[in-house]
Amino acid sequence: MIASISWKNVWRNKTRSAVVIVAVTLGTVAGVFVAGLMNGWVAQRINATIYTEMGHLKIQNPNFLVNEETQYSIKPIKDLTAYLDNAEEVDAYSKRSKIMAVAATARANTGIMLKGINVENEKQVSDVYTKLMPNAGTFFESKSRFPQVVISNKTAEMLRIKNYRISEKVMDSLKILEIPQDGMAKLESIANKRFITKKKFETAINETWTKSEIESYAPVLIKTAAYFQPRAKITFSFTRTNGEIGYQTFQVCGVFKTANTMFDQMSAFVKNEDLYAVAGLNANQFHEISIVTKSTDFKDIKAFQSKLSKAFPEQNFMTWKELAPDAGMLSDFMQIYYYIIMGIIFFALAFGIINTMLMAILERIKELGMLMAIGMKKLQVFAMIMLETVFLTLTGSFIGMLIGGVLISITSKTGLNFSSVEEGFEAIGWSAIVYPNIELSFFFGVTILVIIVAILSSIIPARKALKLKPIEALRIE
Amino acid sequence: MKVIEIDNLKKTYSESEVEVHAVNGVTLDIEEGEFTAIVGPSGSGKTTLLNMIGGLDIPTSGEVIIGGSNMNHLNGSELTDFRKNNIGFVFQAYNLIPVLTAKENTEFVMKLQGKSKVECEKRSKELLESVGLGERINARPNKMSGGQQQRVAVARALASKPKFVLADEPTANLDSKSTETLLDIMEKLNKEENITFVFSTHDARVVKKARRVITLEDGKILSDVRKNGGE
Ligand SMILES: Nc1ncnc2c1ncn2[C@@H]1O[C@H](COP(=O)(O)OP(=O)(O)O)[C@@H](O)[C@H]1O
Ligand SMILES: [Mg+2]
Repeated sequence: MIASISWKNVWRNKTRSAVVIVAVTLGTVAGVFVAGLMNGWVAQRINATIYTEMGHLKIQNPNFLVNEETQYSIKPIKDLTAYLDNAEEVDAYSKRSKIMAVAATARANTGIMLKGINVENEKQVSDVYTKLMPNAGTFFESKSRFPQVVISNKTAEMLRIKNYRISEKVMDSLKILEIPQDGMAKLESIANKRFITKKKFETAINETWTKSEIESYAPVLIKTAAYFQPRAKITFSFTRTNGEIGYQTFQVCGVFKTANTMFDQMSAFVKNEDLYAVAGLNANQFHEISIVTKSTDFKDIKAFQSKLSKAFPEQNFMTWKELAPDAGMLSDFMQIYYYIIMGIIFFALAFGIINTMLMAILERIKELGMLMAIGMKKLQVFAMIMLETVFLTLTGSFIGMLIGGVLISITSKTGLNFSSVEEGFEAIGWSAIVYPNIELSFFFGVTILVIIVAILSSIIPARKALKLKPIEALRIE
Repeated sequence: MKVIEIDNLKKTYSESEVEVHAVNGVTLDIEEGEFTAIVGPSGSGKTTLLNMIGGLDIPTSGEVIIGGSNMNHLNGSELTDFRKNNIGFVFQAYNLIPVLTAKENTEFVMKLQGKSKVECEKRSKELLESVGLGERINARPNKMSGGQQQRVAVARALASKPKFVLADEPTANLDSKSTETLLDIMEKLNKEENITFVFSTHDARVVKKARRVITLEDGKILSDVRKNGGE
């Protein structure tokens, strides 16, 4: 009965309650959506960490961790792979030989980690093969006389294999994009010239186009005009197991791009059969094994890790959280941050709630006096005011969670594009398109939080009511 | 049977320089089934006396004994319970709960007492019918006249089956027609159901209806008259 009076009291002064409800709604929408955004982002980062970069578990020779020399391969590889083949925890694994190399073209060179893989096995543990740039080849699907390499977009840029040219075809596609005649005409002066770096191409554009044209159309132009030199060749030099320098030339077969520039910069994939012999390795020498486990529960991964360590004490086994501590930490602590955000928002809202409830109490003093006179106990009056506060706040937050939830579910499909700041994010491994997402339990947690905030906010107004003496309250006109 | 026993009751206000003896040594008993008016000029101490009888105000000295319980021996929370279970209140300004209907207002104290839903519904309907509001049980206070609201207040006061009903100037805000209706209802309830009423007034027409008239002056009883037909 007290609850029903509280609920009715919420709607007594509709305008005043509506103001609070709208404020709480907006605060909740903002908080829930920001949490969803962060959570989606973190989930993507963790997903990329596991399914693109690391796998759940990685096996290495401990010496290789200290010093990435080719001689430090995993031992005993046969027993270990036999164990993995029979372990029911394993979903898939991929063996890689890894050789630090200097990649060189006629124009530039850069340091890189060559990863010798079995293509089919690699596809089972890493989705790099799905991250190929458009019109930039395949993941070892074409035939060639030469050994093939798949490099990243970043590496292609650094080695100046990625060039820019405004060809006839580029002009045609630009026309479709509705770039004004005027701007198109200006481009004629730099058409069909090849620019070997983005910087040079940008400089040329800056000289031809006006500021407003650059602002509106330069990004599309750069994207459309970019191309990878077909059949470009890269020569890799590295230290062989015997200490001598080895060379091997590979032809670029595909170009990939993940959300993590650091990973991209460091990784070039080749077939192990093209690599091991020139590096002085044998066909069964590998430097790392990436494992994807069946269970994604970290406890199970941890358990499998210790089981493996016991069976093969000489090797090093690391979970993805150890390999990528930043992602691991996010996965462990993000939930707390979401609640901190919600907490801050509700802390601010609490002042408005307290104020509104104080006004509601002050204009009802006589009525409260009467209620106490006819037999309502202080605790019941307290409960009535507290529930009124809880209902008021919960109404707003429910509407807010509903709207926030709908926003998240829409954007989780369409994605949110932060490409204006893309490079900054991707440099640290974060994708520029975010798919917000949040677990249902978060809404449950927010509801609890709202109730706690409402109860705390009701204390000051309720105390005011409890200090009333019935006769004094009744005497007021 | 005595419902209320008052012995040398005093209330002194000493907030200002001069002490005000609002109630200054009142001794009286009220029997079950009496229909008593407390009259006297403004400031004579009627409200103060009723508040002490109702356990809303604490006497400076003297005692109020209701149905054998000494009110001086009850603490705050016990007093609240005592009021809830033993005393029906009717206030000058109606004082209904604005968000509740006539029926819900009537049921309110019963629900505080923990009565069942069925019992609440049955009794509140009966009571509203007996105060002539059987048709308006679902009306909110703001949809009712002052006279109607005060009749709901009487129904509410009776709902808890109190030992007596206290009403401080219940007709002061009513026009003469509503005053008459209300008093007729109170009189009928008193006669037919033997309900004890104690009310204060300074309206001569109301005084006429009372069967016992206690006149106060300066906090003292000036006269205490029982009319014929009372006993
Ligand atoms: N809270 C109070 N503080 C000081 N004086 C009071 C207070 N309440 C009542 N009085 C005084 O006590 C006297 C009796 O008042 P009251 O009982 O209200 O009389 P009545 O109801 O007959 O008009 C008056 O002189 C009034 O001014
Ligand atoms: Mg008075």
